[in-house]
Amino acid sequence: MDAFFLYLAIFLPFGLGILLLFLPERTGEGAVRALGVLGFAVPLAVALFLALRFGSAPVEDGYRFLTAIDTGLSSLGIELRLGLNGISLPLFLLAGIVGFAAGLHALQSNAPRLRLYIALLLVMQAGLMGTFSSVDIFFFYFFHEFALVPTFVMIGIWGGFGRRSAAIEMTIYLTLGALLSLLGLLLLYVQSGAESFSLPALRDALAAQPLGETVASNAFALLLFGFGILVSLFPFHSWAPRGYAAAPTATAMLHAGVLKKFGLYGLIQIAYPLLPEGAGNWQGLLVWLALGNVVLLGFVTMAQRDLKQMIGYSSVMHMGYAFLGLLAFSTVGVGGAVLLLFGHGLSVALLFMLSTAVYHRTQTYDMQEMGGLIGKAPILAAFFAAATFASVGLPGFANFWGEFTIFISLWETYAWALIPAALGIIISAIYGLRAFSRIFMAEPSDALKEHWEENQVQDLQVRERVPACILLAGLLVVGFFPAVVTGPLDADLPGLQPAAAEASETILPHDATESSRLAATAPAAQEGSAVR
Amino acid sequence: MEGLSTLATVLLLVPLASAAVITLFFRRSGKAAEWVSVVAAGIIMVLAFVLIFAWSGSGSLTASIPWLVLGDFRIEMGFLFNAEAATMLAVVGFIGFFIHLFSIGYMDDDPAQGRFFAGLSIFMFSMLGIVLADNLFMLFIFWELVGFSSYMLIAHYWDKDFASAASKKAFVVNRVGDFGFLIGIVWAYHYFGTANISEMSALVASGEKDVVTGIGLLLMCGFVGKSAQLPLQVWLTDAMAGPTPVSALIHAATMVAAGIYFMVRIFGILSPFTLDWILWSGAIMTTFAGICALGQDDIKKSLAYSTLAHLGYMATAIGLGFPGLAIMHMAMHACFKATLFLCSGSVIHACHHEQNMFKMGGLLRRMPITGIAFLIASLSISAVPFTAGYYSKDTIIASAWGLFANGSGGEYLGAYILTVLGALFTALYMGRMFFVVFLGKPNSEKAAKARESSVWMTLPLIVLGWVLSLGAGWFVQPGLDGSWLGGAMTSLLPTHAVEFMVQGFGNDGWKAAHAVYEASGAGWVEWLNLACVLAGFAFTFFYYGRGPSADRLEVNHPAVFQAVERHGWFDDLYDWYVAKVQQRFADILGFLDIFLIAGLLVRGAAGVAGLTGTLLRSLQVGSVHSYVYWFLIGIVFFWIFAAT
Repeated sequence: MDAFFLYLAIFLPFGLGILLLFLPERTGEGAVRALGVLGFAVPLAVALFLALRFGSAPVEDGYRFLTAIDTGLSSLGIELRLGLNGISLPLFLLAGIVGFAAGLHALQSNAPRLRLYIALLLVMQAGLMGTFSSVDIFFFYFFHEFALVPTFVMIGIWGGFGRRSAAIEMTIYLTLGALLSLLGLLLLYVQSGAESFSLPALRDALAAQPLGETVASNAFALLLFGFGILVSLFPFHSWAPRGYAAAPTATAMLHAGVLKKFGLYGLIQIAYPLLPEGAGNWQGLLVWLALGNVVLLGFVTMAQRDLKQMIGYSSVMHMGYAFLGLLAFSTVGVGGAVLLLFGHGLSVALLFMLSTAVYHRTQTYDMQEMGGLIGKAPILAAFFAAATFASVGLPGFANFWGEFTIFISLWETYAWALIPAALGIIISAIYGLRAFSRIFMAEPSDALKEHWEENQVQDLQVRERVPACILLAGLLVVGFFPAVVTGPLDADLPGLQPAAAEASETILPHDATESSRLAATAPAAQEGSAVR
Repeated sequence: MEGLSTLATVLLLVPLASAAVITLFFRRSGKAAEWVSVVAAGIIMVLAFVLIFAWSGSGSLTASIPWLVLGDFRIEMGFLFNAEAATMLAVVGFIGFFIHLFSIGYMDDDPAQGRFFAGLSIFMFSMLGIVLADNLFMLFIFWELVGFSSYMLIAHYWDKDFASAASKKAFVVNRVGDFGFLIGIVWAYHYFGTANISEMSALVASGEKDVVTGIGLLLMCGFVGKSAQLPLQVWLTDAMAGPTPVSALIHAATMVAAGIYFMVRIFGILSPFTLDWILWSGAIMTTFAGICALGQDDIKKSLAYSTLAHLGYMATAIGLGFPGLAIMHMAMHACFKATLFLCSGSVIHACHHEQNMFKMGGLLRRMPITGIAFLIASLSISAVPFTAGYYSKDTIIASAWGLFANGSGGEYLGAYILTVLGALFTALYMGRMFFVVFLGKPNSEKAAKARESSVWMTLPLIVLGWVLSLGAGWFVQPGLDGSWLGGAMTSLLPTHAVEFMVQGFGNDGWKAAHAVYEASGAGWVEWLNLACVLAGFAFTFFYYGRGPSADRLEVNHPAVFQAVERHGWFDDLYDWYVAKVQQRFADILGFLDIFLIAGLLVRGAAGVAGLTGTLLRSLQVGSVHSYVYWFLIGIVFFWIFAAT
């Protein structure tokens, strides 16, 4: 029965989106809004409901709520097979929350051709709900494309400054990334001999008969770089800040908040568990690239004057942490990465949304031209401060737990990387607080004073506050009670380990789940006494 | 035990609830916010003492529950309640409450009382978390949260440029310290296999694990940031941009002392080298900050340097190997330094936010309660015999000599000389402050019209200044053990309370330190201290005069004054680094990112891009419907292909 809700979460928004697209031109705004709210609310309700049921649901093949229907592609081993495990649940929930907030924001945005805008967002939402609940890697990929294509269209039509070139750059990049990962997935499918795209079947087949090291390494590389491009891994990140800066707000919220997480989700759910032999070859490179995200792009973020570009770069920077969490592929590290994905998804969506609210009150994205906005909009300032501190990694917000556990996990593999990685906590504080004080504190700029004299500027309106509160609530709930997310993770992550554990010698010298904690720290102890 | 940890949990949640209630309901009603916050502070004080008296007085209370579990890694929320925690809790609860009371008067004309009192409540929550935390993870969480509340309260006057800059600076500089702290925590966790403070100490004590210098030094980074020690001291003086009650509570009495408290808690895992480091850095700070305090005209900034110097004394006590003594000085310092700041707040409020000492003058007659409290606290901080400060500060200096005299090492002689100089400078800057502000004639219109503050503000001054700055030390008087004035002092209090005072103030630490000094037999040490103090006061009395309108040093020797005012050129160096190195590096990377990665690598593949662009353009017919059709056609093709 619960499985029915999974279908509902995907096909209801999709159906409503198509319906909106083909409704007659004269349809009233009220109807559009009602359908829109319904289309965004149902996935969130389903996600929350399933999260509550998660603990008590029976487990089958490592998944809960498992269900499948034949779509006429069974000759290729493709089935629409849906289900959730501890890793997909947080992201499924994230998609529900951010989708609802982005939908509400879009509905009150007065965008031209609103009906079309909402329709595309609903299709995107359907794709997001689908991709994180797919157990079949064909549909996992298929739903991702489903969510991705409307992104390009939306940037092209409703985007801001430089939207055309941004849309094209983003399209080329993301298509390239998607193609590489598709190649990797196909290679997996062909080489495994499972004759099925179902993830448990692939896992069983590969566990019974591992791929040769070369093949595994190549397949892993395809997935790593394909997925990596989608998550803006350094140096394949340049699409992200430009794309987000040009994208309409709700699109940026959904893409940066949720869709971008697809790549890391794929690495966690597919690449590492299925190809542990292949992963070992690439960890040495990945640590450098991820540090590039954290440190180099951290400094680049510091150099930004444009608010949206800065948020875009900061989102790229934080993805570096998530990659660092994968290095050990231990329960701590991967758990931390998922926590960070969840927290970051909410905080970056909130920041994009609020940056638009700031723009409406200042008529600029240039932070040098702002100032003193607390006086005009204290509630906006409070929300913005909360979002900034969440992304800076303040305890009390979900992001903190992610960053912290990733730092813990890093010691097991690349202890030296802890030093540059921890520099990130200084860097993000510098650009985050600098942005906040430039926008909200001190004296307003002259241009802004003039603008405020001529125009009435109001604080955050109720219709803007509702989506902001939803996102903030998510950040705070997980910030105070991380077990909401880590409970399911802790239950299901070890299930991904059998394959990884076999290769623990190649990936990591001592796997946290294998050896006792004290034994795992023995090498550290030697190091410690060496220092002494 | 069960009951006690429940009590501690409630204690911790009261201020959080207060902050939440104010944020949700009383953002605009300052009066209501004020009362919610003050009542919460009152409940905290009462519960704190209930907890202290219910606690057995020895041993430690521990309890914890898992909060985040991933595999075999777990973060726990737990309490470790022992002697130093009891003292810290008493300080935070008691002084916190009186500063809340003071705030009612001080913030009476402020438009943003809701934000201010919510901030104070968040601070109380975070600080209590630090006091009670039993493991490094939980400690780090609350450590970051006090940083946030400090940021929020420094930025109270957000429309002023300096407040905006100061709040940012405070948070970022603290983050620099936390950078090392975080690495230290990760290392400690993996080395000891636990982050629990008592378990780590037990592992070292039983000889199962060695102390590691690296871990100690890294953990010390957190202390250096939070307690504003060299070279991260620059944020504390700027933090005076916040309202004065905040300066008193957070930036003098409690939060900055959290660094000291933390070092005392982990004292068991510090290596001798780390202790020497702390000793030197603390001892240098006592003199350095003392000199800097003479170069400030702003009364709060001058006091801030004095705070730095006294944190230096506490650090010195830890470095000497007497953590209990450090905690005792922390408690005494909290009394007299909170008094000094509250007096300055009372004066500033009466002079309509004038902070320049040389525009005050003659205030003793106009504000006698404030003036007398300031005088007592000045004597106390200068360690005049039998005031509160004397017992802790004098013992620190004397025991440094004692350790040198019994041949423990040359570094203790260095520490002794520096701390004696620090004591001399204490008397100099405190004398300067008192004579300039309170004696003579008013130097401005505002000062001439100053009136004694309202009862909300004078009551805390009487309690903290007249009573505690004077008498807080009498409970540890030698031979006390229940007998000073024939037991008169202690018979005033219940037995439990006496036990707490004796245990909690670090009486053992004090006794050990005092014994070292007694053993050296150098009675002249105490006389020299007293001579320094008297000389300092006498010199300033004649040099600066009573209620002058300008700093005589500044007038007669501007070059010397400026050198003192630049406080070691640290700020100049850091400003140069931020503007000329860090920002340029960021700009260059930003340029390279656009030019190399986005420009050359991406668009340089012009063939691919151009081709794709042309293809896209041919498909881009501007109507979304056509995209949908293309998409559907593609899907149909795929399905046909797959089904055959």
